[in-house]
Amino acid sequence: MRSKDIALIGMMTATLEVAKTALNFLPNIELVTLLVILYSLYLGKRVFFAVYAFALIEGLLFGFGIWWIMYLYIWPLLAIITLVFKNVQGRLFWALLAAAFGLFFGLFCAIPYLFIGGPSMAFSWWIAGIPYDFIHCASNFLVVLVLLPPLRKVMERFSFNQ
Amino acid sequence: MKNKKTLIVVFVLIAVIGFFAGLYAGFSEKPEVGAKTVYIEVVDAAESVKEYTVQTDAEYLRQVMDEAEGLTYGGADSEYGIMIDSINGVRADYTLDGAYWSFYVNGEYCNYGIDTQPVADGDVFKIEYTLAE
Repeated sequence: MRSKDIALIGMMTATLEVAKTALNFLPNIELVTLLVILYSLYLGKRVFFAVYAFALIEGLLFGFGIWWIMYLYIWPLLAIITLVFKNVQGRLFWALLAAAFGLFFGLFCAIPYLFIGGPSMAFSWWIAGIPYDFIHCASNFLVVLVLLPPLRKVMERFSFNQ
Repeated sequence: MKNKKTLIVVFVLIAVIGFFAGLYAGFSEKPEVGAKTVYIEVVDAAESVKEYTVQTDAEYLRQVMDEAEGLTYGGADSEYGIMIDSINGVRADYTLDGAYWSFYVNGEYCNYGIDTQPVADGDVFKIEYTLAE
């Protein structure tokens, strides 16, 4: 890993944390999904270092609770999905992918509860959060639809070796 | 062809939203309306227990806690409702020593905050000072 990569990872991590903190007051309206998609598209596998550094900072700030386990797989999962489809250009595709990610976010996050309290605990935890998943779905769709194309233009001005 | 694929994805997404909404309508915990007897047990840092019995029409736990004579609480408002940090003047500071107030309903860990935790007749709530392991 070169020093340029380390700098890029640091900047990705910082912007993820700032974006997360800036919108903390709005329930399930966030820019992290948008940024993880963007960074995966243009910075490739380096995004995994950034999402794990981001998870570590979140854990240090808010405590390493059960929710933190979800951060260890939910953002890398989004990065993997993005890398699989990285050649797709259409903004609607990415907006729909982000919407689906928001919609299933609660379901994915319920997985640790399977091991703690069994299927009934995981199920009721997921069900309780479904209204928030709907907000997450709609907000992700709009955020990516509106903000991804201009951010892509910015990223295309730079050359990042993947 | 591409538009057709997009349309299919949109329809699938809408169908999943409908399915999830159905699950939420069918399985989410709902409050009962009417006279209820609700029990609250507070276990503090010294493991001393205080019990409260509340006759209430409240739908959610927060209102029951408001109505419980002698029970006080404090916390910070967040987007998901109040985050309790003190009960009866005893503060649990997670950042200091990993302490928090855990909430149980009928022996099960509460899945909701006190603003949205439904209350049913005969429910036994336990509020316990807990240290993270």
